[in-house]
Amino acid sequence: MADIATHDTDHATDHGHHSSTGLSNNKLAMWLFLGSECLLFGGLISTYMLYRGRVQNGPHPSQIYDIPFTSVSSFVLLMSSLTMVLAVSSAHRKDDSKTNLWLLITGLLGATFVGGQVYEFTTFYREGLGFTTSLFSSSFYSLTGFHGVHVSVGVIMLMSLMGIIKKGKITGDKAEVVELIGLYWHFVDVVWIIIFTLVYLIPS
Amino acid sequence: MSHSDSPHSSEKAMDIVNNVKSSSHRIRNSIASIFGIVLLAGCATNAPQDTWQPKGDNAQIINNLQWIIFPMAGVVGVLVFAFAAYTFWKFTDRGQPIPSQSHGKPIVEIILTIIPALILTVVGVFTFRGIFELANTEDTEMVINVTGQQWWWEYDYPVQTDQGITKPIISSGQLVIPVGTKVLLRETSRDVIHSYWIPALNGKKDAVPGRINLLRLQADKPGLFAGQCTEFCGLSHANMRMEAIALSKEDFAKWVAGQQKAYTSPAAGTPAKEGEAVFLNQCIRCHQVNGLKKADGTPAIAAPDENVYSGAAPNLSFLMSRNTFAGAKFDLLNKSCREDVWGASPETIGAKYLAGVSQSCLNETDLRAWLRNAPAMKPMYADPTKLEKSGGKYRGMPNLGLTETDIDKLVAYLLTLK
Amino acid sequence: MSTNELTLTPGNALDVAKGKLVVAPTQSLGVVRRPVNTTGWREWLFTVDHKKLGIMYGTVAFVFFIVGGVEALFIRLQLALPDGRILSADKYNQMFTMHATTMIFLFAMPMAAAFANYFLPLQIGARDVAFPRLNALSFWLFLTGGLILNASWFLGGAADGGWFMYAPNSGPVFSPTNGVDFWILGLQIAGIASLIGSINLIVTVLNMRAPGMTLMKMPVFTWMILVVQFLLVFSLPVITVALVLLMFQRSYGATFFDVSQGADPLLWQHLFWIFGHPEVYVLILPAFGIISEVLPTFSRKPLFGYPFVVFSGASIGLVGFGVWAHHMFASGLGPVSVAVFSMATMAIAIPTGVKIFNWLLTMWGGKIWYSAAMKFAIGLVILFTIGGLSGVTHAVAPSDTQQTDTYYIVAHFHYVLFGGMVFGLFSGFYYWWPKVFGKMLNEKLGSWNFWFMVIGMNLTFGPMHILGLQGQPRRMYVWTEARAGEGFFNLGFWNMVSSIGSFILAVGVLFFIINVIKTTRNPERAPLDPWDARTLEWITTSPPKVHNFDRIPVVHHLDEFFHRKYEEDEATHTMKQVATGEELVRAEEAAADADIHMPGPSYWPLLLSIGVGILGMGVIYGTPIMVVGALVVLFSSYGWVLEPSVPDAIDFDTPSTDGHTKEITPVG
Repeated sequence: MADIATHDTDHATDHGHHSSTGLSNNKLAMWLFLGSECLLFGGLISTYMLYRGRVQNGPHPSQIYDIPFTSVSSFVLLMSSLTMVLAVSSAHRKDDSKTNLWLLITGLLGATFVGGQVYEFTTFYREGLGFTTSLFSSSFYSLTGFHGVHVSVGVIMLMSLMGIIKKGKITGDKAEVVELIGLYWHFVDVVWIIIFTLVYLIPS
Repeated sequence: MSHSDSPHSSEKAMDIVNNVKSSSHRIRNSIASIFGIVLLAGCATNAPQDTWQPKGDNAQIINNLQWIIFPMAGVVGVLVFAFAAYTFWKFTDRGQPIPSQSHGKPIVEIILTIIPALILTVVGVFTFRGIFELANTEDTEMVINVTGQQWWWEYDYPVQTDQGITKPIISSGQLVIPVGTKVLLRETSRDVIHSYWIPALNGKKDAVPGRINLLRLQADKPGLFAGQCTEFCGLSHANMRMEAIALSKEDFAKWVAGQQKAYTSPAAGTPAKEGEAVFLNQCIRCHQVNGLKKADGTPAIAAPDENVYSGAAPNLSFLMSRNTFAGAKFDLLNKSCREDVWGASPETIGAKYLAGVSQSCLNETDLRAWLRNAPAMKPMYADPTKLEKSGGKYRGMPNLGLTETDIDKLVAYLLTLK
Repeated sequence: MSTNELTLTPGNALDVAKGKLVVAPTQSLGVVRRPVNTTGWREWLFTVDHKKLGIMYGTVAFVFFIVGGVEALFIRLQLALPDGRILSADKYNQMFTMHATTMIFLFAMPMAAAFANYFLPLQIGARDVAFPRLNALSFWLFLTGGLILNASWFLGGAADGGWFMYAPNSGPVFSPTNGVDFWILGLQIAGIASLIGSINLIVTVLNMRAPGMTLMKMPVFTWMILVVQFLLVFSLPVITVALVLLMFQRSYGATFFDVSQGADPLLWQHLFWIFGHPEVYVLILPAFGIISEVLPTFSRKPLFGYPFVVFSGASIGLVGFGVWAHHMFASGLGPVSVAVFSMATMAIAIPTGVKIFNWLLTMWGGKIWYSAAMKFAIGLVILFTIGGLSGVTHAVAPSDTQQTDTYYIVAHFHYVLFGGMVFGLFSGFYYWWPKVFGKMLNEKLGSWNFWFMVIGMNLTFGPMHILGLQGQPRRMYVWTEARAGEGFFNLGFWNMVSSIGSFILAVGVLFFIINVIKTTRNPERAPLDPWDARTLEWITTSPPKVHNFDRIPVVHHLDEFFHRKYEEDEATHTMKQVATGEELVRAEEAAADADIHMPGPSYWPLLLSIGVGILGMGVIYGTPIMVVGALVVLFSSYGWVLEPSVPDAIDFDTPSTDGHTKEITPVG
């Protein structure tokens, strides 16, 4: 979790210390964290790929996926990455109100995506695909659920960031904080592109 | 803050250390003595699961590889230790000045990298060959289906007329095979992962539920080869054993014929007949005896899938044609008869094995104790009050609450299953 | 009192006469006022100082070492005789599961973290790690995970599926008690701790090195720790997935390892060992790093072939990700996979061999001083060689199908883990104790410690080679006479020898404990540089000041400290001492930096860990508890993020007027 509002974590970049990699401590840490997340989602995706065709009970993927619907919510998430970029550039220009505006829109788009997932899951559930129904269902919900939680945490971070910017409580490099959350947000988006392709688009 | 500076403290430390300056000698001596003990004192003789006493082709292939890699490792070890010991002795601090601060010699490094790489390449080539040799199943001559279950092994011989098997044979515990025959085990499990291992005949192969893994066994000469389950499978993993019995081709044919005999009910009025009734009352719920009929003349079919979580219990037809029970944890033979059979030479073991277990040879103590209270003899999950997680089904044989007279009768009956 | 506006003025100072300035926090911006204690138990509870955290890690890890050791002694008591009666089958299965889990996750990894925490910043010339509060969080999460894991002993039975916890045996039907659930949670929480710690240390090493310290001038210990952190970053998520899948199956009815639903049990094995194999390099590389400092110091020569040692460490880490299925040679992978992993496993022996040769060649031509630290370091070289050679015999896959799941494997990994890793750690104890505690561990007791451990270790694990090759499988609560062979030296004999050996080993460890107690009572202070060492962490007081270095050193050489003390005499090519460690530290004090800022203590790491612990227990004991835990986590997260920023007042500023440093004690 990025320390975003404190003094001590800017140890390397504060007071004119230079960092050997050229990346600030916070940014390097975020990249490493995202690196480990690659392996996390890699494990979940592998599990899904192994089990996607094992449908002892309940519906088969082809019977249940609503590709048009999921495409729309994927598009929403993709757009949120665009608005995130705009938020970061506003932060670089030190434009607090614009930053907050784009952060808000990003958060709302993200929340829409999550809302879409909730709707999708409840529909699937009513159509007979519960968490424990089959290996396919367990793997599907685990993978997409983990991703959904990541998006939700991202939305909470975005909203919190907005509040903190408004209250003027960020010390240190405000633009960097927005950038860090941006990195996380783009990662979550990229993972979704991979999931959407492997899970929904490629027939099992 | 202490005012002693480095040289002072170094001297002081040296004083203490001087007392153990002969450490270099002691290090070297103890290393040598440890190796000596291990190598020279040696090992057990006739360890039944010894991995260096191959008794068949597959184990021999592995043994050939062992004889390449182990001596090589040993030689490398000895060389390294010799160099180390010499270094410890020669370069002990005897007051010499601080040496020139050499940082290394790349050429030495490179040589010391290339030599192990070459050695390992040679080992690798032999290993590669061995892996594929052992994996070849094209020339299989006989197939046996092996199923692991907590905590015993079941063997199913499918019909193979060229081996004389005209009816499927189901047995457990002791796997009987003909000598000089390329036998292929098709392994699976009904519950958790087990592993089938008869060291004298081959390495081990896991029995994985939902999969079929292949293991080749071939014995050169008749004999009794011990094994154990070697993948941790729960409570009684330590008690899950088995043996492979290799018989000459003639003896194997006799064994097959014996396993395909029709069932003969004991004579009326004998204790064995009463035991049959006890069996039909209690044991038949899980254990099948081929050909056994109920009192009304209809076949008695065991239903272990209704009572046992993993779905099966050992088939007890011809129980006394084998000489272990309860997942080969206990012997059916008493001590002297066991020594006779287990220690028999390859020429005589066939006949001794085929003789089966007679009343005079029966290990009554263990068999009766088992019938009296199986869970007390072998840890299992058979307490009827604690079966919620397994849906009310047993994981192992329960205490049936048999009376001593019941047990008498049952033993008499079981002795007829030959 | 949260809107105090005390400012720093000399008029506020209470103890100016004693050279102490007392300051107070400025206005706090956050939820609660930040803790400011620097004395007493609260100091330890809220500290973010890497040195204190290192000591805490080390202490807790050592306690778990004893716990795991007692579990091992029970195992050996049970196996001393055939058909042992000391432990029931159920208890035995719990005992060996917890022995391994405790030793690996609660002793070895945290003890390496203890050394890394304490010495990594010192070795690179930094004042702390990149993220001090995250550092504290790592420690408290580790403690939480360890406590949850061991709580299982008292709450229905510990996990009993082996530390590798193969499915389906670890599933809800075959492991019906909560033991495995506690195991999952304990490991998940400890795993998060390690992951956070690894990110922290990588950033520290990459970004916070002293000026002039290029990567190839870093001490080998730092290098090995860096490689380990990368291994952790990429391997921990995989076991996280495995644990999550198992938890979902056990607690929420998912079917991931339910064969009747079509699951593949080998999925668990792959996921586990993709973590599990890099994990063993996580365990050994820190010990390799420690002895790479000790051996040169006590040979009075630099490490032979520094670039090769560094590069081989990195390649072991990298190739280590490609050999995992050598733990699965008997599981039915098929000959092609088996062949590939067999070859890769042989390949990894090569860089390992390079290290052994380099250590021996370091000593060659040296001036060897057999201190206790050196004895343990040499012990590692010899014992790890034995373990490594038996490892090469496993790499031959067909041979491994005879060896796997027998005591031969137990012998192998105890030689590399005990003879390797533990001996390396003990070497580190003796080497660095004077720096950390300002006292020297007694060398005579150190000798007794070493010899009892070496003899005990060889008597315990040496015979296991024979036991395994002659057919005794592992993970068995009893062994039988019937399978033990004949003759005086049958398996029964060697089992007894091994059990006796384990108690001799325990006595060895006892000598260490006695040594620590004796040293603590001994008022005699250690000299600043008792070993005439070579690396930066020795240009400090013993123990180092809270800010480590009065002046951040500028580095010109590998073994910078040694180069400041010695110069090569042109004529004789021997080394001449031009300065002592003491003199160098005094010089640094005299030239102290004017402006030193240190991070302040914090409640949030501790509180957040408690929240995570409650959350975890909720998985076992019900959703209401999870909700409570989640709320604590949320509250702590926000508190952390909004933490009062108390910059200058709490910082340690060293006036450089009179050449003596001044302690600043903030009021609480």
